[in-house]
Amino acid sequence: MQPKLAAKARCSDGEVGKISKVILDPLSREISHVVVSEYSGQRMERQVPISQIQEVPNEEEVVLRCSVAEFGQFPVLDRDGYVTIHDLEIAHLEDNLHVEPGEILVPYPRLEQGVPRRSFFANMTHAIGALIALPFVYPVLKFVMKPMYRPFDNEWFSVGNVNKIKKENIGYQFKFRRGFKEVFMPEQQIEKNIWVVKATPEVRKAVYEGKDKKFHDEKGDIVWVNKANAPYIGFSGKCPHLGCGYKWRRTKNYPDGVFLCPCHLSIYDEAGKVVDGPAPRALDVLPMKVNAAGEVKIIDIEYKAGVEKQIRLL
Amino acid sequence: MSGHQDPVNEPNVFEKVVDFVDERVGLKTLQAKMLNEPVPGGSRWAYAFGSVLLFIFILQVVTGILLMFYYVPSTDHAYASTQYIIHEVDYGWFLLSYHFWGSSAMVVMVFAHMSQVFLWGAYKKPRELVWLVGLALFGIVMAFGFTGYLLPWDQRAFWATVVGVEIMDKTPLIGDFMARFLKGGPTPGQMTISRFFVIHVMVLPAALMGLAGLHIFLFRKAGPAGPFRGTPEELKAKTDYFFPRQIWKDIVAMASVFLIICSLAFIEPVVLLEEATPDPGDYHPEPEWYFLFLFQLLRLKIFGGEFGQFLGSIALPGAFMALLAVLPFIDTSPERNIFKRPASLIGWILVMLMILVFTVSAIINRDFLD
Repeated sequence: MQPKLAAKARCSDGEVGKISKVILDPLSREISHVVVSEYSGQRMERQVPISQIQEVPNEEEVVLRCSVAEFGQFPVLDRDGYVTIHDLEIAHLEDNLHVEPGEILVPYPRLEQGVPRRSFFANMTHAIGALIALPFVYPVLKFVMKPMYRPFDNEWFSVGNVNKIKKENIGYQFKFRRGFKEVFMPEQQIEKNIWVVKATPEVRKAVYEGKDKKFHDEKGDIVWVNKANAPYIGFSGKCPHLGCGYKWRRTKNYPDGVFLCPCHLSIYDEAGKVVDGPAPRALDVLPMKVNAAGEVKIIDIEYKAGVEKQIRLL
Repeated sequence: MSGHQDPVNEPNVFEKVVDFVDERVGLKTLQAKMLNEPVPGGSRWAYAFGSVLLFIFILQVVTGILLMFYYVPSTDHAYASTQYIIHEVDYGWFLLSYHFWGSSAMVVMVFAHMSQVFLWGAYKKPRELVWLVGLALFGIVMAFGFTGYLLPWDQRAFWATVVGVEIMDKTPLIGDFMARFLKGGPTPGQMTISRFFVIHVMVLPAALMGLAGLHIFLFRKAGPAGPFRGTPEELKAKTDYFFPRQIWKDIVAMASVFLIICSLAFIEPVVLLEEATPDPGDYHPEPEWYFLFLFQLLRLKIFGGEFGQFLGSIALPGAFMALLAVLPFIDTSPERNIFKRPASLIGWILVMLMILVFTVSAIINRDFLD
């Protein structure tokens, strides 16, 4: 039951005025009061609770429960205590409010009348939009992918001299600088490191399992073979867990020393085998050659971290 | 109350200009609509988090734009230009440190905001989409933190990115592509800076602005949820409009957060480590504190090995986010009182405890390493 604006308000003993406004509760979103503009006197606007409405016999008329005298007791509307719904945001207000005098219709323009294929035009618009976007997909993909896949770098780098390594079966770090040329940038010198172990035959056996280790390029061709009986073994400085840099450390549990990665605490022995922590595979052996003077050269291979198999990245 | 003025005085020039604009734009209606939003059950401090987030973001934009006046996103200049900002540019240290601590404040506020919405049961019908868009915004805030972290190009930045990208690489099917896409190559370098930079200063801000707009629009459409206790009469008696009481609480909260960020910038200004290089030297890589719990989680043996790592770094966080996303659709009971939703309360406490315990143990582990 919702009263119409401009309906006449009638008490049990006579007509008192017209409904000029309605008041809405912002939380329940229901009409709480009607405002009746008096016919008599100073044409006061009085606020009548919705519960006072007895019935709405027709669209033009509202019957109140009160008498004319009682109607005069209802409070006068204080307009400054209210805002209009245009100045207020109430969710789903329209769904709860039906004070307009019925539906308001707007005709289609003359040219639009009798256009039966409005949905066809709508679909066409979307289709043409998609067709505009389509030719961009492949070029954009290729555009962003340009530097993502690079041929492997099989260059040899000199990293130091094995004469410095005095003891067997401990990790010895060689820091080296190498040129790094990326896309349009001038070549930059970056610092890297590898770990070299002067391995006893047992450790060599643990690393190579008696077999020479072959290294391949992207075509599968062999670029280098590490001999299984070579005394020096070089490990990539990149931790195979998630790519941090590990160190050679002596700890309480491993007084002889182990390779320890400070990131996620992976621990490897002198043969690079995982002894503790979350690493999925052993340290990566690098292609390495040592000349008669003891100078160490390596190919700076990088493998993907975090996987059991060695997947070459660089 | 527009259109209800007493024509006592002739309008002055300023009022004429305002009226001119208002007639064409409808500013007064817009302003009135924004300010006169009924807050069921009345304003509360707990409702300030969303506004504070918007405030922090705006200042991140301002400080971020200023930093770009000097910053050069390249491997040979990123570090030097950041050092220049810190040591040479007047108040550069302050603006950079503000931006740095602002990002932490953003993450803290996101957690507070999400917790409030969760505990109040405000994600439930009809606010499911507000919640979903909010989750996307959470992802964007974390992505902001991750991409911004690389830009100074010091050792901290470099190694956090190396590990972070390796983690993303573990995503099934698209992981390798995603990691190469972000790195712009097989290993981090110039292309990584370029990509992180453009994502940090163009892609993410655009995404955040669009989604935050949608978030607020959907929120206004559904209306505020209000408290989870109280009869309709009690709520009605305490209801007020967004202005002035809630705005007052919001502005006080914003000012407090602003002061805290400024203090942190003064007390702990940003200091860079050595310039980034693939040799960590003596540095023990560590992510920003809000990723520490995840970092510590990955130290556990059960998250070791190829599968364990996938479990810990992709499956578990992914499942947690998926759970949050479907939450409004599986938790369809209209009950919003957190004390009558024991599973939700216990779940929230457990997640917070987990984050706390793992963060603290990561910090304790630092001593063990040195």
